Amino acid sequence: MVPADKKTVNTAKWFLPWVIPFLLFCLWWTVSATGLMPAYLLPSPLSTIRAGYAYIFGQPGEGPYAGRFLTDAGASLLRVGCGFALAVAVGLPLGILSGRLWILRKLMSTSVNALRAVPGITWLPLALVWFGIGMKTTIFLVALAAFFPVYLNAAAGAGQVNPLLLQAGAMMGVRRLRGTFAILLPGAMSHLMTGLRLGLGISWAYLVLGELTGVPNGLGAVIMDARMLGRIDMIVVGIIIIAAIGRVSDQLLQGGMRFCFKSARRMG
Amino acid sequence: MRPHLRAVPLTDHKQRETILHIDRLSKVFHLNSGYLPVLDKISFEAKSGDLICILGKSGCGKSTLLKIIAGFLSPTSGKVVLNEKPVITPGPDRCVIFQEDVLFPWLTVQENIAFGLKGKKQDKNVRAEEVARFLALVGLSEFKDYLPRELSGGMKQRVALARVLILQPQVLLMDEPFASLDAQSREEMQNLLLSLWKKLSHTILFVTHDVNEAVVLADRILLMDKNPGRIREEVRVDLPRPRDREGSAFLNVCKRLNRALRD
Repeated sequence: MVPADKKTVNTAKWFLPWVIPFLLFCLWWTVSATGLMPAYLLPSPLSTIRAGYAYIFGQPGEGPYAGRFLTDAGASLLRVGCGFALAVAVGLPLGILSGRLWILRKLMSTSVNALRAVPGITWLPLALVWFGIGMKTTIFLVALAAFFPVYLNAAAGAGQVNPLLLQAGAMMGVRRLRGTFAILLPGAMSHLMTGLRLGLGISWAYLVLGELTGVPNGLGAVIMDARMLGRIDMIVVGIIIIAAIGRVSDQLLQGGMRFCFKSARRMG
Repeated sequence: MRPHLRAVPLTDHKQRETILHIDRLSKVFHLNSGYLPVLDKISFEAKSGDLICILGKSGCGKSTLLKIIAGFLSPTSGKVVLNEKPVITPGPDRCVIFQEDVLFPWLTVQENIAFGLKGKKQDKNVRAEEVARFLALVGLSEFKDYLPRELSGGMKQRVALARVLILQPQVLLMDEPFASLDAQSREEMQNLLLSLWKKLSHTILFVTHDVNEAVVLADRILLMDKNPGRIREEVRVDLPRPRDREGSAFLNVCKRLNRALRD
């Protein structure tokens, strides 16, 4: 192999992630411009961009969806935020503890592994009965779905920390509490990170599920609403916006963890 | 002057006090197939400033012995007493240098060395000075911001040494710490250890299977037998320091120990 110089590599690292999105966009353009797929099945890129622009920057009242973006995104972010935070608050400590304590691990194993096999959508009817349509149902679904990756990865991470590191800590006079924060968590960091990222990703999936049930606002609600009104361009706008916010939130999560923890910076 | 820096005259055995008592220590492992006696009534004593090598073939229980003294394992019977206090749990008065590298991979060299000081109430500047001093002692001042994965095996063991020496342990327990190094680095590390010992005069228990290493380092060599592990004899090494690794007196001691290990 020819050794590539650093500049070329950096450029490649920057543009490679955008190659496939760009090709997909070209494909979309071609298919719709040549009439291979009619506009009522697939809107043209141009009309989609127009719809998206109106949705995000338009004034309320200019059209059915104009200017609704901030309200919808805000509502969705709040739901994802609450659900994911709940999943982390329960899943992370519980996962770390069961990674270290076999009693807790055994106690949890049947329940976690059985419930994990139940698709999140199965909970929807029950959640609707319990919490009704809206905020609570969505948060419940998001929290439930995000719990499993967070819990399982935290348990795996805490379980695989080299016991010699903990012994080394003990001989240097490190007590349990400090050992947990100064050795156990950093040692498990790459697993914790994986769990959090998977959990946040799945949070967005279940957000849309929760919002498809007829809540008045939110990104999922817009998609569902647009389907009923035959505004297929708005469906595509909704999909793209969710993809974009999902990607950005993942990067914010990673960046935030790197900013806060040495171990995430150096081991991640 | 700090207490651990006071030069203890190494030749004067009478004035130094006995600090570590190992008293009829036995250890039996419970396996699926039955009981495996690993250590059988091990007894010895160490005076402050002693450098004792525990020499034996693999499987003679020498690492188990060290783990019990460190407090990582509890003995089946017998006891370890350090400064008139029985040893039950691990603690910073008995620090271990492991065979493999157990530095914290997410901390730099400097942060690894400062790790044990974190819990103590201490002025920040004093701590920084201490860390800088120990970095210099093991010759790693230029590498203070490196991560462990960027260091060679020998350098990692230097960090391991510095991070426990900074805690001023009463006894340094070393479990074949240089076994995985190449010959040159091993000799370098042995010399470094000797020079640190001369400066800081810790008590050192050094486990090894390498006869040469034991003769280079030790005042006293405890020769261990296996099945079950027991002390077969104690050999006093009175060769003058620094020891000439090629001298005939040195080689004679090695020859004798090699013969003893073989049968």
